[in-house]
Amino acid sequence: MNSAQFEIQLIASLVAIACAIPGTFLVLRKMAMISDAISHSILPGIVVGFFITQDLNSPWLILLAAFTGVITVALVERIQKTGLVKEDTAIGLVFPALFSIGVIMIAKNANDVHLDVDAVLLGELAFAPFDRLTVAGTDIGPKSLWVIGIILMITISLLIAFFKELKISTFDPGLSASLGFSPLIMHYGLMTVSSVTTVGAFDAVGAILVVALMIAPAASAYLLTTDLKKMLGLAVFFGVFSAITGYWVAHWLDASIAGSITTMLGVLFLFVYLLAPSKGLIAVMYRDKQQRIEVSLLTFLLHLKNHTEERERHVNHLNEHINWQKVKSETVLDLALKNNMIIINNKIVSLTEKGNAFTSQAIDYIITNEDAQIEDMKDDFFLFRG
Amino acid sequence: MDTHTDEHALNKGNLAVKVDDLTVAYNYKPVLWDIDLEIPEGVLMAIVGPNGAGKSTLIKAILGILKPIAGSVSIYGKPYHKQRSLVAYVPQKGSVDWDFPTTALDVVMMGTYGSLGWIKRPGVNEKKAALEALEKVGMLAFKSRQISQLSGGQQQRIFLARALVQEASIYFMDEPFQGVDATTEIAIINILKELRKAGKTVVVVHHDLQTVPEYFDWVTFLNVKKIATGPVMDIYNDDNLTKTYGINYKVSVQK
Repeated sequence: MNSAQFEIQLIASLVAIACAIPGTFLVLRKMAMISDAISHSILPGIVVGFFITQDLNSPWLILLAAFTGVITVALVERIQKTGLVKEDTAIGLVFPALFSIGVIMIAKNANDVHLDVDAVLLGELAFAPFDRLTVAGTDIGPKSLWVIGIILMITISLLIAFFKELKISTFDPGLSASLGFSPLIMHYGLMTVSSVTTVGAFDAVGAILVVALMIAPAASAYLLTTDLKKMLGLAVFFGVFSAITGYWVAHWLDASIAGSITTMLGVLFLFVYLLAPSKGLIAVMYRDKQQRIEVSLLTFLLHLKNHTEERERHVNHLNEHINWQKVKSETVLDLALKNNMIIINNKIVSLTEKGNAFTSQAIDYIITNEDAQIEDMKDDFFLFRG
Repeated sequence: MDTHTDEHALNKGNLAVKVDDLTVAYNYKPVLWDIDLEIPEGVLMAIVGPNGAGKSTLIKAILGILKPIAGSVSIYGKPYHKQRSLVAYVPQKGSVDWDFPTTALDVVMMGTYGSLGWIKRPGVNEKKAALEALEKVGMLAFKSRQISQLSGGQQQRIFLARALVQEASIYFMDEPFQGVDATTEIAIINILKELRKAGKTVVVVHHDLQTVPEYFDWVTFLNVKKIATGPVMDIYNDDNLTKTYGINYKVSVQK
């Protein structure tokens, strides 16, 4: 690995961390699409800033472009407040308008400006190591590394300082306001950080990857944890993981780095979505199946408790009587036997003492409208789950 | 207002909350119209009125969450923003996202943020206070549970614990009995009665008209305008209910 490769991975990782932190709060505030809007609408800010400063890494350009991002948010809210359109429509109205202004400005001045729409959308991470920062004649590393490094330091300091305020204003804006932590200030603070990060990351990774780096790691982390700090940690980890693996995938395929990192983010989310222990698709499907069988079991036990006549309790008649398919009645019978809830004598099914106790208690809970309690009770009664 | 009310208020001593000529509008449509309201210290008060009467809006305007277009509010004689530490607020349970990645204990700790102020973080004392509040509402065993895994009643108790931890003088609660089971309702009202016994003022947006005389000693009838306010035993009658709800109301008030 040469130093340029190392620098690219370092920049990509810092960008990933800087994006994951505001991204986590955007996801929790159900504002993921705002990052999309910001990343596009800062384009005119960048173009104007570039005309003035002639330097894509100038702090003035970053502040000017970030300001366009905050204006976007304010415009979206302004339109939304009229009550004539919903928030998603307002977002859809504002950012294409601002983005298109930027596109026209680039096209009109294409000859003088080293900016093109491709670079804006996809970034040029591979070229980042060529634009060096020199202080008193000494090369101190790529400019984008310094830009994103400084932004990251600011973001982390703000996160540490205002973690409690961010948490409370995200979870409960009403309480937050009543305690004197203005949700409006926190909202615009977060929007400013998101905008600055987007602009800082934009040069390196482009408008589309910025959105992916903000949202995908946070969304994946959300499926895995029930703790805000862990969610932040996991989001950062996923971002860095995708940045580095994405870089090597691009290296191996000789493809776009930004594209490969985004693909890795997608693959990662897909994995988490399928395999997350409690919220993942497979776990949910497994629990659904378990629930269905256990509800059938309870139905079957209730039937046994209600009917003393042997005709109703004959093994072969279960299919006809409770109208179940053969496979299902076998599964249910099997589960009931394994848990010692029933005994079968001469093909006649009867409740055991334990089965009787379980059923009576379940009926009590159903009658008193506390069905949720049945779940807890299952732990006491079941040796094997459905 | 009749003289009895004034006497009663005087007996109770200070005014906890005073609302003057408060008008709040959403998009130019008034939801609260010229409200004058005095809440004496130490009462357990219900705010009743039909849907859209502005009950939640009144609380939010008192707490400065909504900006009124006219009028003023004072808490023990001073504007709200100077008296924040005296006030605790329990929003409607439905106003927050219960899938938020946090635990019961952590939500209760949020009640301590107000006294901490900006930037300072909760420490050992705050945690201890939060655990005590959880114990008071019978939720200590659930302290590490993720909040989405709590039942509706348990979530409401968590909200109540969060208000208790603020150790306020005035408690505003927006429909604390909504969607809770009978056991939780009794547990909550017992805690509210304890608060009153300790000299606190408790203001509750309430929906169940049947339980007003049993739970509360003070009541405000609201329907965009204030209809009446005073001791339950004096003003909780068919006349005021009919004025508030617009249809002929018959309740049998046990005195």
